[in-house]
Amino acid sequence: MEQGEMYGRRGCQLVKELASAEPGQLTRFNDDLFNQVIKECNVHYSQFYELTRKMQEEGLDVQSTRNADHFGMLIHHLSLLRNKRCLMAYMYKRADILRSLSWKVGRVLPPEIEGKLSDIEKHYFKNHASTLQFYMREMDCLDLTVDMVPPKDPYIKVRVLEDIGVTAIGDKDTNLARHSIHFLKCTDAEPYIRQGMMEELLG
Amino acid sequence: MTTASEDESAPSRIDEEDESLKLESDVELLKRAWQNEKGAPEILEYQSALVRRTSQQIHLMEDLIEELTKRGDDPLIVSIYQMDLDRTQFLLRSYLRIRLQKIEAAMLHVAKTDLWNRLSRQEHNFAQRCIEDMGSHMDESVLSKLPSGYQSNLKQSNASDEDDMVPEPNLNTFVFCKRQNSIGAIPLDDSGDEIVDLVAGTHVCFSYIFGLLLHVCALFSKPEDGGHC
Repeated sequence: MEQGEMYGRRGCQLVKELASAEPGQLTRFNDDLFNQVIKECNVHYSQFYELTRKMQEEGLDVQSTRNADHFGMLIHHLSLLRNKRCLMAYMYKRADILRSLSWKVGRVLPPEIEGKLSDIEKHYFKNHASTLQFYMREMDCLDLTVDMVPPKDPYIKVRVLEDIGVTAIGDKDTNLARHSIHFLKCTDAEPYIRQGMMEELLG
Repeated sequence: MTTASEDESAPSRIDEEDESLKLESDVELLKRAWQNEKGAPEILEYQSALVRRTSQQIHLMEDLIEELTKRGDDPLIVSIYQMDLDRTQFLLRSYLRIRLQKIEAAMLHVAKTDLWNRLSRQEHNFAQRCIEDMGSHMDESVLSKLPSGYQSNLKQSNASDEDDMVPEPNLNTFVFCKRQNSIGAIPLDDSGDEIVDLVAGTHVCFSYIFGLLLHVCALFSKPEDGGHC
């Protein structure tokens, strides 16, 4: 750390970035800043260790002595803890958003979101999606990602926005060509609507 | 409380009128369980018998609707049955979903406390996997890169006496409740100046943890009353 640099400033910047994003939205994973905070933690630790060694060389009891070096160690320890909490909060909050995304988009991330994640986060998303799938299979294949709002009509009119092709809907095959209009069960149409491949026709 | 259907075995013949009556009372129970789960900040007891009965009834209704459609019955009647089925399915899915989301939000806390006993077997597996996923995620991204002594997921450092990094649900959030039985007058503070009279059918709003306290007092003071929000 440079002379005069305030401890914890970078950790604070990381958390501010989280807080200033739109609720539920992810910003690009800030690799640079993240690694700088990690580096700061390790510098704190080595300086903490140096002070321990110094006190031991001076024949002082590290646990009970209260001198300038002791308080120096305390500051390094507390700064490290603060940085740790900032890092964990950053990762945890982003993981929170990823989990709520997996309820909305299923197992496949939209590319514009995938581009904002670190590799480790992409891995976490896959893991969580498969944990959810595992639970649903154990519950007799009950799909919990559909039916997110209370049902009004059992069937809705939809227009297909992208060329999906012939797909099995219920127990028959339907040609979901672009611009075609269909009368489908809500639960069949829901996943397509959420991915933006279909839109509901009202009125 | 509405009496629940006691018949746990699947009927061999579909008696339509009987079935729709049973469905109604279980749906009311499911709706109440869903409302409670939605409102409470912590996870509640898993209604395993209710979920099992509802799933069975949903399958029966699906078969019934298929049969009626094949028979060419009045489409209006069929769509009414379908709407009833959709409502029940929504309640069941939403109930299970809310519980899973509560587990996700406080997975470590649930695993460490009595709350663990309120989960179903499948929810135990889910919670376990969530904890492992999160644990390895934190390890790979942060903890393995920190100095030794600071690598715990649960404690800030080895110097911490207890698990000080485990988030807990806020039990002070306010909930709206409807009394089912009367408890009588409850004092709100030590001086006895402010009291609240809890009569059956009234709606009240207080913090969740105060509600839990009232529930416990009610159980001890008048055992025959019981009742809950």
